[in-house]
Amino acid sequence: MMRRSLLALGIAAAMSTQAQADITIAMAGPVTGPVAQYGDMQFIGAEMAIERINAAGGVDGEMLKGVKYDDACDPKQAVAVANQIVNDGVQYVIGHLCSSATQPASDIYAEEGVMMITAASTSPTITEQGYELVFRTIGLDSLQGPVAGRYIAETVKPKHMAVIHDKQQYGEGIATGVRDTVEEAGIDVVLFEGITAGDKDFSALISKLKKENVDFVYYGGYHPELGLLLRQSRELGFDAPFMGPEGVGNPDISKIAGQASEGLYVTLPPAFETDPKNADLVAAFKDKDQDPSGPFVMPAYTAVELIADGIKGADSTDPYDVAEYLKANSFDTPIGKVEYDEKGDLKDFNFVVYNWHADGTKSEAAH
Amino acid sequence: MEDILYFLQQVINGLTIGSTYALIAIGYTMVYGIIGMINFAHGEIYMIGTYVTFIVIAALGMLGIANPFFLMAAALLVAVLVSCAYGFAVERVAYRPVRGSKRLIALISAIGMSIFLQNYMRLAQGSRDMAISSLIPGGWEFGLESFAVNLSYMQVIIFSVTLVCMLLLSSFISRSRLGRACRACSQDAGMARLLGINTDMIISMTFVIGAALAAVAGLLLGMYYGVVNPYIGFLAGLKAFTAAVLGGIGSIPGAMLGGLLLGVAEALTGGYLSTEYKDVVAFGLLILILLFRPSGILGKPEVEKI
Repeated sequence: MMRRSLLALGIAAAMSTQAQADITIAMAGPVTGPVAQYGDMQFIGAEMAIERINAAGGVDGEMLKGVKYDDACDPKQAVAVANQIVNDGVQYVIGHLCSSATQPASDIYAEEGVMMITAASTSPTITEQGYELVFRTIGLDSLQGPVAGRYIAETVKPKHMAVIHDKQQYGEGIATGVRDTVEEAGIDVVLFEGITAGDKDFSALISKLKKENVDFVYYGGYHPELGLLLRQSRELGFDAPFMGPEGVGNPDISKIAGQASEGLYVTLPPAFETDPKNADLVAAFKDKDQDPSGPFVMPAYTAVELIADGIKGADSTDPYDVAEYLKANSFDTPIGKVEYDEKGDLKDFNFVVYNWHADGTKSEAAH
Repeated sequence: MEDILYFLQQVINGLTIGSTYALIAIGYTMVYGIIGMINFAHGEIYMIGTYVTFIVIAALGMLGIANPFFLMAAALLVAVLVSCAYGFAVERVAYRPVRGSKRLIALISAIGMSIFLQNYMRLAQGSRDMAISSLIPGGWEFGLESFAVNLSYMQVIIFSVTLVCMLLLSSFISRSRLGRACRACSQDAGMARLLGINTDMIISMTFVIGAALAAVAGLLLGMYYGVVNPYIGFLAGLKAFTAAVLGGIGSIPGAMLGGLLLGVAEALTGGYLSTEYKDVVAFGLLILILLFRPSGILGKPEVEKI
């Protein structure tokens, strides 16, 4: 008898939460795995937005609820996670993070009518599939590559340059963009090669770079490999400067490479946390002992805000209505003015070249 | 001249990485030689060895001890002891209960063990890369101004420690009483038991020796690369397994030869062709060897016993 009443209570409790009809937002990204720190950036940004929106009364009185899903930046796990999100009845996703995980997940969301805003995936192909419900709050590799390429061609002017990538969608895409830009500007790219993500030994490659007298290296990929590449380069007496995209720009690269990470060039989204308009938001992060300077924190915050604004503006929780509203209007957000094109890409987004330092900080690179 | 130096450099790079493949490969080959199963959790023991090394070095570093050789010796001792305990426990928990059943069952048990250890370390240590600074930086440089061959102290240490381990192990197997018992078990475990050899003990010992060598590899590579995460065991295990098969699984000199060959083949491919084709060549080599010498370079062909 006791057990039966407990069961009844349980059912009643389950039903009452459903009746409240929160708007659930799935936050999909790596909770675990070698690039989990990027996941953290996205999660703290999105959670902060949810908290602040709820504190201000929610979206038309309904509270937002964030649920984390772990894809470990693995394309296979991303598909499983996407299916789970669909099964859980969630209609809005912030994520995924790694382009190679975002891409397969976006197919599932498109089929099931789920809206996805990625705050970190920069591969152009994600928005080229023509899905109505895919958006970004970050720029594209096709923007980032040329920024890096132009900086190399105009400021660094290397004589024998090498471009290396990790053979993944993100890394190879951006490396190809950089190569094309610098070659157009007349820089000699003597080496364009892929390594395997997860590899630990780059001595053969570094010896080759030395032999080819390479004086500048661009690496397309993430920090675990670049950290080792830098470290082994310096140990083997190869001193050329390196440059990488935003996937290498986080304090872990300094942990791995130590002193060898000093002076590394990185293209990152602008430092939104230094914008005086965001002072209030930055203070809120600092109060919670969180770091707002990660490249994906503000984009993730913005993504949640856009969903909330979209639902309010469209006066509907149907993702298709919200998508239409987002594409038709412009928004003032912590990452600046947001306007979308037909594909769901930002019309305007800048990348900036920074110098990374061995203590895990960065400063804008000299032009 | 420059080309010769470059070739020499790539061979040095290859021998270094090949040495550690060889150290890990021995664990596979010894276990296979004696009980005819592939211990897929072996790569994880190597990973645990690296973690223990890092923890010991970090802890002693906090106490203010900076002598690299003392740190290395202390880390070696602790890493070997801990890894041996894991090797022993893995055999007891995952393999001994299923030893009598079909091969496939032991294989599945091994894969399960591997997944368990990987995730256990992930929960215990976190999934981010952990890093230590180089304990023994620097090395020798010789050659021309246009291209200098770089031989780091760590590379020399890796190669010589591997060589010493191999020599010790070979003389242990060929000369000692326990080594003779090992060989007897590998030839015919049933008969060895009838003759009064404690085969359970010998099998446990095989796992412990394999784990100790994996811990040595973990220490050397941990200090050489300076980073560790819970996933390094998989790729290292795969490469070492390839090395063991290449050299002839079940044969200890074969594991050594296979490891060095694989390392040099990878370095030369990376150096002359493209780093992208490194794994293609490594595994292509494996397929070729298996096609023309199915028992590996130094393996003995298996004779069907009647």
